[in-house]
Amino acid sequence: MRRNRFTDKESLLFLIIGLALFVFPFIYEDRSMLILFTQIFIFAIFAMSYDILLGFTGIVSFGHAMFFGIGAYCVSVMLKHYEPTMLLVTGAIILGVLFSLIISFVVGLMTLRLKSHYYAMLTLALAGLFLVAAEKWRTLTYGNDGFTFRVPEFFHSRLHFYLVCLVLMIIVYFGLKRFIQSPLGRILLAIKDNEQRAESLGYQVLHYKIIASIVAGGIASLSGSLYALSLRFVNTSVFTMDITLDALLMTIIGGVGTLIGPVLGAAIIELAHHWLTGLAKVHWIFERWLILFGIVYILAVMFFPNGIVGSVRKLVAKKGKKEDVSTSENIVKEG
Amino acid sequence: MELFINLTINGLATGMLIFLLAAGLTLIFGLMSVLNFAHGGLFAWGAYAGVWLYLLTNSFIAGIIGAIFMGIILGFITEKWIIQPVYGNHVQQILITLGFMIVLSEFLKVIWGPNQIAVTPPAYLTGSWEIGNILIIKYRAFIIVVGFLMYALIYYMLKHTKIGLIVRAGVINKEMVQSLGINIKRIFLYVFMAGAAMAALSGMLIAPYAGVIHGNMGMEYAILAFIVVVIGGMGNITGSILAATLVGLIGSFMAYYVPELSLAVNMLIMAVVLLVRPQGLFALKG
Repeated sequence: MRRNRFTDKESLLFLIIGLALFVFPFIYEDRSMLILFTQIFIFAIFAMSYDILLGFTGIVSFGHAMFFGIGAYCVSVMLKHYEPTMLLVTGAIILGVLFSLIISFVVGLMTLRLKSHYYAMLTLALAGLFLVAAEKWRTLTYGNDGFTFRVPEFFHSRLHFYLVCLVLMIIVYFGLKRFIQSPLGRILLAIKDNEQRAESLGYQVLHYKIIASIVAGGIASLSGSLYALSLRFVNTSVFTMDITLDALLMTIIGGVGTLIGPVLGAAIIELAHHWLTGLAKVHWIFERWLILFGIVYILAVMFFPNGIVGSVRKLVAKKGKKEDVSTSENIVKEG
Repeated sequence: MELFINLTINGLATGMLIFLLAAGLTLIFGLMSVLNFAHGGLFAWGAYAGVWLYLLTNSFIAGIIGAIFMGIILGFITEKWIIQPVYGNHVQQILITLGFMIVLSEFLKVIWGPNQIAVTPPAYLTGSWEIGNILIIKYRAFIIVVGFLMYALIYYMLKHTKIGLIVRAGVINKEMVQSLGINIKRIFLYVFMAGAAMAALSGMLIAPYAGVIHGNMGMEYAILAFIVVVIGGMGNITGSILAATLVGLIGSFMAYYVPELSLAVNMLIMAVVLLVRPQGLFALKG
């Protein structure tokens, strides 16, 4: 149903950009750029995982920061208490992912029966519980102050970390692409388009939704781990609503229901954040750069429900065949 | 015993405060089936506009009127520009009202600055009465009274007036009401404006109670309101007042006996309610 021609072209484009990004730090040596790009890769992974829920299954979660935070704390706590080696980092990331898989399974089992509003509320509340737990369990988390930790020798070089994040982003991209192009991914899209119809076709909608949320949760945990590693510091802010909001903004602006969209969205938002806060010295209004995104976001939801990538695709598709790219049209209706 | 009564009164006052916050939200959700995530933004704007006027004129009443006025204006804008384009689509409603919430709370900081503003109750509401060992803070008593009045007003409007009848009918069958020659769109706009005004008013009333207002207060309090609306059953005004009282009382007792849990207890209640009875603890059949 989706024009494979375009998606393959997109993959090729993605691969080329990825390769260019591999070469980039060797040509242009700038530490702050390197860190900024690393940040983009990390949030791209996070936003892609969010899009599995929002764009491919049609569920709005307000608790995605929960998994991000689990990943971040898993790595941080391990590195704080044990000698930082690569093996430990890998183990900690895997542990975080496993932990997230279990949590997202349990949470999904509990929450995914609920309708859109209630689901959003409940995920918000559950993420809130994690935030409170992190605030209160001071012996482990040091509360809101957070703590710093040492990273393995290998990651002392920002370049190494940049490359690792880049590779992981590309792996996640192609992995998720494979996932949504699989029969299972097709069922998710069917659920998103019309839940009742999918149900009446005999699919156990709940099962597939849980699978989607498990996949999303695990990958979100990976990005959280990387985030903590990049800062070499963690505090309870990783559990806040702001993190979920970031993912939401990136996904919607970049293009919901596409994998390249969240990556693009992550890049746009991180870059704009970087530059606009830099401009704050010029004029104080740039301190409040989020307003701009809020407005763009509202306009996007209203007029460009497919985001940048979706809209471009639509344009391209119009040239070829007149076919409706239904992406973000009404999904879950109550009743 | 005194402790028990004091805690109960505190809990009641907090509960009423939360009810004020939740009343507008549950009205909007119950009648229009719109979960307004921008509610906290309306609330914070009401608080800021009201407090600004209050500090300017030194009249608490002026502050309240200012807050209500602000709520009505913002309600109009929100309904017309933000909600109307996405009626009937819940996912888009969630997304768009959340976006509007961001804009509202950031814009607030642009106008009034990101710093906290201290607020005190007016002279005639400061201080407390002492009956035996029981201490009743005047402002809390005031909040309790206002909460009950608000409840009575909404209840009466919905159940015993013609406009309430139209609104309730419009919820069940929009087309039917429309075909009777009633402009249901306009009615919904009014309902939304009323809900927004309530949010703004509660913001203004909470300000002296909390002592300070700050730019992020919207989301903070909105979560409480959501919790109450969910526990009470969305759109159920009686459920909301009961749930708010419940949350207020539990919060008050928890804060005294198990302070570690007090932050999480609301969320826990909501989570349990959603799991066991997603239609709300006090929801009527259907």
